[in-house]
Amino acid sequence: MRSASEKVVKSVGLIVLVAFVVVFPGIASDPFVLSVGVVIISYAVLATAWNFVGGFTGYISLGHAAYSGLGGYATGLLILRAEVNPWVALLLGGVVVAVLAVPVGIAALRVRGASFVIVSIALVLVLLLVFQSWESVTGGSDGLRVPRPFGPEVLRPEQHQRFFYLHAALLAVMLLCWWAIDRSRFGMGLKGIREDEDKARSLGVPTVRYKLAAFVVSAFFTALGGGLYALWFGFLDPIFQFSILVGSNMVLMSLLGGVRSLFGPLVGAVVVGYATEFFKAQYGDTQMHLVAMGVLLAAVVLFLPDGIIPAVRGLVARLRPKQASIREVTQEELAEEVRR
Amino acid sequence: MSLVFQSLVLGVLMGGLYALLAAGLTLYFGVMRVVMIAHSAFLVLAAYLAWTFTVHTGLDPMLSLLVTVPLFFVLGVAVQRLLVARLRPATLTMMSVLLTFAVALAVEGALGFVFTGTHRRIPLSYSGARLELFGASVALVKLIAFGLAAVTLVGLHVLLKVTRFGQALRATMQHREAARLLGVDTDRVAGFGFGLGLATAAVGGTALALDSTIYPSLHWHWIGPLMAIIVVGGLGSVAGAAIAALLLGVGQNLLQIPLGTTWAQTFFYAALFVTLILRPQGFFGGRLAQRF
Repeated sequence: MRSASEKVVKSVGLIVLVAFVVVFPGIASDPFVLSVGVVIISYAVLATAWNFVGGFTGYISLGHAAYSGLGGYATGLLILRAEVNPWVALLLGGVVVAVLAVPVGIAALRVRGASFVIVSIALVLVLLLVFQSWESVTGGSDGLRVPRPFGPEVLRPEQHQRFFYLHAALLAVMLLCWWAIDRSRFGMGLKGIREDEDKARSLGVPTVRYKLAAFVVSAFFTALGGGLYALWFGFLDPIFQFSILVGSNMVLMSLLGGVRSLFGPLVGAVVVGYATEFFKAQYGDTQMHLVAMGVLLAAVVLFLPDGIIPAVRGLVARLRPKQASIREVTQEELAEEVRR
Repeated sequence: MSLVFQSLVLGVLMGGLYALLAAGLTLYFGVMRVVMIAHSAFLVLAAYLAWTFTVHTGLDPMLSLLVTVPLFFVLGVAVQRLLVARLRPATLTMMSVLLTFAVALAVEGALGFVFTGTHRRIPLSYSGARLELFGASVALVKLIAFGLAAVTLVGLHVLLKVTRFGQALRATMQHREAARLLGVDTDRVAGFGFGLGLATAAVGGTALALDSTIYPSLHWHWIGPLMAIIVVGGLGSVAGAAIAALLLGVGQNLLQIPLGTTWAQTFFYAALFVTLILRPQGFFGGRLAQRF
């Protein structure tokens, strides 16, 4: 009974979500609103990419800006210096970053908990130093202008619209991947690592390989997100690309929405992204947005560490008639599961 | 040759300051298994307080320590009691990093809001003075900063080794449950441990303000090297952190000769990655480091 009603709610929700994403560019009142939409969906892409490692394995990386930044620069540099087609450059950039993520992952995933977070922060800081200093290749602090992938006949609003759909497509692919991993043996192993790495290992989960695989997949998608953003925005500055803030935004969004849920990062991205843009529009670019972000992150960590989606689900469950069994699944459901 | 020697001396002086700051981080980690990202944000806050104090009163910035050290002690106890202690034990290490990171963002934002992003420097009558030290010419302010760090570290050492409170603190660091069984009020001690750690940030910040330009986002330049130091030294080991601080400080200063300041900074991160590949528990760490 319960699972049937839940299924209906879920599919209706999914249809509404898809419909909204499809019609949004059409109903957006002006190019500015549309560009905010692109920014928010770009956040959603990055946060969902982050969640491949953060959500499954519980390894919280504050430095995913390293991969989005590298993805952006790889795409831009391939177009500018090697004259590769922009879309090929985007994919190639993702592959390059995924390859780079292998040694980084091997080093970083050797340590757990706090040390891992430290390493992830250090990675961003060192990349910032390198990309600022290595002027001959990266353009240094002056930044790098990335040529637009569409011809001059495509106007600004049209650009926003196309990039909105491109981001949405990437997001859909990622959500599908996340969903597939979530119900696979691989995903089971990753979640085992999250709950208790030593136990998972003693039960035969190849923890090192699994963690590394999740890490590389996450880096790949983050790089694609960064590259797509670079193509849309058209300008890269190391200060903003390799910024701790970008990485912490991904963490904040994912945690706020719920790292264990498929749509958690998306929900978080919409909430935080909208709040950020609203804040900027209302109060301008003061330092107060740092304070607001700090306070919000602290509040989420202290009071809502599981995120909005599980909290709402818990609230709904409380309003429902009490279940007779303390099991999460009833005997009948279990029997049905076995039969299938 | 003299250039190398000069760098060596400067490296040791720099390493002393690093050691003091790393000692604070080690204290937090010892009592609560918490990596305090906000440590260097408070460092910059102390530097700003010293700057404000000197600009408004015209007195020496070191006198501001009389206010900032007790203030930071209370702040540290408050951070532990009101924030860190509320986290779930199961996810404490990970979540505390995020929480203290959030604190760091809030402090940086508040500093930017109050003092603006303008670079500030304390006007000192003796800022240009230099001393001859074994043939190396060293700025007086660097010596004073090193002296402050050294005095504080020695004081900390005596406090930890000699007093009853120090014994209780070390017992809590070694084995919390056992300490509690022996009648140590570990929650209280953990709070005071945090206070002590933050008090070292007050001293470090004032020392920093003596000879460098300060701005709100400066703390990112400090947190990376400090994190590298505690990982290389082994999380939770005060002596290990001090050795690592001196070695890395000297290494950075020596590398500045061929590479320049910016690239020399990457030395810390290189050391961090090499440590993780070869010896993830750190080179001088004890038992504590194993699990983290």
